[in-house]
Amino acid sequence: MTQLDSRGAARWVGQSVRRREDVRLVTGRGRYVDDVTMPGLLHAHFVRSPVARGALTRVDATAARQQPGVVAVLTAEDVNPSAHSFWVTMMGPDAARAPMRVLADRDVRYVGEPIALVVAESRYLAEDAAELVDLDVDPRPAIVTIEQALSNGERVHPELDTNLSGEIPAVADHELDRLFAEAARVVTATLGQHRYLCVPMEPRGLIAAWDPWQQRMEIVASTQTVHETRAQWSRLLAVPEESIRVVMGDVGGSFGQKMFPGREDHAVVIAAKLLGRAVKWIEDRAENLIAAGHAREESMEVSLAVEADGRITAARAHHLENVGAYPIFGDGMSAPTAASMFPGPYHLRRLAFSAQGTYTNTSGHCAYRGPWMMETTAREQMIDIVAGELGVDPLELRRRNVIQQDELPFTTATGLVYTAVSPAETLEQAAGLIGYEAFRKEQEEARARGRYLGVGLSLYIEPQFGFGVLGTEAATIRVEPSGRVNVLMSTGSHGQSLETTVVQVVADELGVSIDDIRFFQGDSAATPYGPGTGGSRSAAIASAAAMQASQQVREKVLLIGAHLMEAAPDDVEMACGAVSVKGDPAAGVPLAQVAAVAYLNTDALPPGVPPGLETTARWKAPMFMFSNACHAATVEVDRVTGQVTLLRYVVSEDCGNMINPMVVEGQIAGGVAQGIGGVFYEHFVYDGDGNPLTTTFLDYQLPTAAEVPDFEYGHVVTPAPTPGGFKGMGEGGAIASPAALINAVRDALRPLGVKITAQPLTPDAIVQAIERAAG
Amino acid sequence: MAELDVTVTVNGQRRRLRVEPRKTLADALREDLALTGTHLGCEHGVCGACTVLVEGQAVRSCLLFAVQVDGADVTTVEGLTPADGSLSPVQQAFRDCHGLQCGFCTPGFIVSATAFLAGHPRPSETEIREGMAGNLCRCTGYQGIVRAVRQAAAAQAGGAHDAAR
Amino acid sequence: MKSAPFEYVAPATVDEAVRLLAEHGDEAKVLAGGQSLVPVLALRLARPGVLVDVNRVDGLAGVRRDNGRVRVGALTRHAAVERDPDLAAAVPLLARAAPLIGHFQIRNRGTIGGSLAHADPAAEWPAVALALDAELEVRSSGGQRTIAAADFVVSTFMTALEPDDLLVAAWFPVWGAGAGFAVEELARRSGDFAIAGAICGVQVAGPAVTRAAISLLGMGSTPLRARAAERRLTGARPDDLDLEEVGQLAVADCDPPDDVHASGSYRRRVGAALVSRALARAMREAQGEVQDG
Repeated sequence: MTQLDSRGAARWVGQSVRRREDVRLVTGRGRYVDDVTMPGLLHAHFVRSPVARGALTRVDATAARQQPGVVAVLTAEDVNPSAHSFWVTMMGPDAARAPMRVLADRDVRYVGEPIALVVAESRYLAEDAAELVDLDVDPRPAIVTIEQALSNGERVHPELDTNLSGEIPAVADHELDRLFAEAARVVTATLGQHRYLCVPMEPRGLIAAWDPWQQRMEIVASTQTVHETRAQWSRLLAVPEESIRVVMGDVGGSFGQKMFPGREDHAVVIAAKLLGRAVKWIEDRAENLIAAGHAREESMEVSLAVEADGRITAARAHHLENVGAYPIFGDGMSAPTAASMFPGPYHLRRLAFSAQGTYTNTSGHCAYRGPWMMETTAREQMIDIVAGELGVDPLELRRRNVIQQDELPFTTATGLVYTAVSPAETLEQAAGLIGYEAFRKEQEEARARGRYLGVGLSLYIEPQFGFGVLGTEAATIRVEPSGRVNVLMSTGSHGQSLETTVVQVVADELGVSIDDIRFFQGDSAATPYGPGTGGSRSAAIASAAAMQASQQVREKVLLIGAHLMEAAPDDVEMACGAVSVKGDPAAGVPLAQVAAVAYLNTDALPPGVPPGLETTARWKAPMFMFSNACHAATVEVDRVTGQVTLLRYVVSEDCGNMINPMVVEGQIAGGVAQGIGGVFYEHFVYDGDGNPLTTTFLDYQLPTAAEVPDFEYGHVVTPAPTPGGFKGMGEGGAIASPAALINAVRDALRPLGVKITAQPLTPDAIVQAIERAAG
Repeated sequence: MAELDVTVTVNGQRRRLRVEPRKTLADALREDLALTGTHLGCEHGVCGACTVLVEGQAVRSCLLFAVQVDGADVTTVEGLTPADGSLSPVQQAFRDCHGLQCGFCTPGFIVSATAFLAGHPRPSETEIREGMAGNLCRCTGYQGIVRAVRQAAAAQAGGAHDAAR
Repeated sequence: MKSAPFEYVAPATVDEAVRLLAEHGDEAKVLAGGQSLVPVLALRLARPGVLVDVNRVDGLAGVRRDNGRVRVGALTRHAAVERDPDLAAAVPLLARAAPLIGHFQIRNRGTIGGSLAHADPAAEWPAVALALDAELEVRSSGGQRTIAAADFVVSTFMTALEPDDLLVAAWFPVWGAGAGFAVEELARRSGDFAIAGAICGVQVAGPAVTRAAISLLGMGSTPLRARAAERRLTGARPDDLDLEEVGQLAVADCDPPDDVHASGSYRRRVGAALVSRALARAMREAQGEVQDG
């Protein structure tokens, strides 16, 4: 139901407007990369390493090349010389990274590493030919775990003299030492997290078409960002940026996995150029599980200095990350961001944070929804562990440590300044919604009857970054001569509903209906430069640009409309798609008429007003913005089978003003489901030789509708200091939920003395933890 | 093997294909008939993105070969869409309830939910969740999807009630 | 993830089907529901030269009551078993196991014969067949024979079927009055292959248990009969039984596998609990209480 303002004009922002995207998507008329075809399109399929580490002594494609329908089989010697550069804009050319190559050359460094590319008339034929490529691989012992990488003298990358992809060294800090020495108690634990994955429902893929006559590359990609991919491929191929056009249509989810192109994408782009053809590559699910970017395999050792009253004054944390063989960008480490966010919403005075990222013979690290989330996973579990040791309720312990409103602006131990956050308020709202006190009674009664119920909390701050590539967003608004409004954005929405939310913002600012606005994004030739969509920032920052552009257009519309009505500009307003005198909405000049004058009948323009109704606004984002939320979960654990039933899940969210509450809640829900999946069901497993064991959906198990309860939401609104007051929040569901869920299980099994320090919490793992506690 | 001729009724239209036996129904729909609404999410029968109706029954089209449906009736998501540009009750419910975000799993859910509701006019909460458990979604956390199926069931029940009067 | 090439034939009769199987031998694979076979083909874990599609074979599906037994045609879909009220009354275990198989989309195509022939150690039908001492009716170009369920599944994904055999039906006995049945499974998610499962049937006459059948799935490379546990039950008074102990006895000799989903020791622990829970429900039904499905 649309809200109307005092003039009877619709107000769209703040309403759960139904999505513009949906009509084409529910009818099956979305256009994903595999839906795109063109004459002469060829199909690619990769030959991949069957072994995690070894010498690649022979790649014989003779038989494969002879297969009917096979156009080419390309190996490292064909492809790699065409790859001139691999760096991503965000990290710059000098950032540390693995010694990159497109196709494996002389050795292999993870199972699934691409060795050769078959290009054929169909995917079926390409797969047939791929089987005929003869490989000789001489296996060597693989380095699979962080421990092995740190202790093994063998190198994942022989070009480097270390298995460390990066390091934040421990630094002496006397003030920290003093706080620890003076603390009433020091609580230490090492918390582990397993490897789990983005798993978008649409795997990776792209079409690259090189026209040798025009020397132009046209690319349709399943990506989060057309401009960054264009930039990278321009550098890769050493061709001018303007000779490459990258377009994204509908994209079937990503969660960070498609933020940067992978080696396969590079290989396909190079193949298209070498062959002068259009080449399509669509990853299948086994490839997506085995060889697309991986995430989350980390551990953190945390020591907290705790006062007698439970105040946590200082922390030491050492963060280990398994970044695989070829992290998708840079050194693959989330540690720098994890370090800065570790204090979370608490009064922590001092933090010493060190970290190591290790290369291993496994699939490389990619961003996955809140890549730095280990800081919350570890910190929030530590709060509960400290609470347990002190005999204080975890809710109460958080109350004693959380930042209050009257302490803002608050500078954290890592130098971040919070100005507009509400952690204490969300803590109370979440506790209220889940009925915390009543639950404790219910829990006690259940325990008396031999049943194990538990509640877990997770309180966190979510950052949005606005520097470097992420520093600006742009919106071009064009009112066409017909009066229709076209909005061209720098975003790369792939499920974030920007086609609806940005249009809501523009509709309000311009005073037109959302039905009169068309949204465009994701065409490097047409839409303004931007970072695409990722990092929880699109709606907040892109909408600020859209607002600015809308305001500029509106000002001009009012000038022209006033002139046409022979009124003073201050006496007119824009609403319901027309310029009218304030207080007299009936007689107005429709936007179409204003536009006709602006483009076609320019002599009728007011003096000094240039023709046209189009503008681009580029908005500079603040370096940091922060949203925050509190998650609360209740569970029951079956002591015999170790199965966990999720009873309730509550989120109290503060992301400032909400453009579309339905969209906000949808983003939370998706993230929480990924946390449920990660904690209880999903585990990407390698054996001791680096062979992946969970290579299909039969073994890598995603939660279904039957495993996820109804989520409940509360909202707190602390507007951002930006136009519109919107904040990003898309990653938060996946950042906070694991700790809430693990804490709930820990709380349920507390009477049995169970210690939980690792994931996933499968029934077997829970039973083993119970048995260990029983001694 | 040489290609075989297949005659199949798809969305009410008789279509003729000439396909290798190993070509899946999913691939044939997408490539030979340009019905790209049916999606490939796993190609091993788990995710349900490829769900279509064969003789009115919801099945995974990635686990059927096109040659197997010779003479049969197939309905895809495109065939569940009313010809006049409106949305079916299930499609409308998904839109009303924010049952989709990226949309990739959505056609499979639309087909499965349509078939499920045909067989379960008054589903319980548990039945809805188990009925939808054969389709995977990564974006929505299933919240909007379960709400959509509830709404579509209620709309169906309401309609049936009216018809009975 | 596309299958390797194969020849395709779709016979219309059992005679034609077995003739084709004889002709092609090892190169042929029977395509029934395809829910297990086609993923194997797509992953290129198998590449048969000839696929013999039996979905058009006359008379291969269907349920028939025959003299104290029920004959379920091999091509009968799980969904048909799930929805058949007469079958549910005659052989309740079939109706109770069916809804646990995958999801309804799988059940619309998957067949009881295909599931039996595929012999996944965590599948329901082989364990139900074993519990009920079903008989498997097999045809080949050499004629017809019957294989007892206990002899049917040899190992993981391996049965006593020869390459040129076609499983055409499974015969299940109908237990008389005073019978109770239950299926208890532990699966990670709704519809998954079970990590462990128990299939139980008991019959009570007068004060004592007169008959007991317990089979286990997911506890070994084949479904397993828990004969020691059955012997403990037979002849005993229901009230005298410690079902937890019987559950432990049922799994005592099992050596379940370790895999990514669960360890062998976990399977044994859970298997025991599932047996006792299933026996408790089956007993209640056998003694006249209404089964809660």
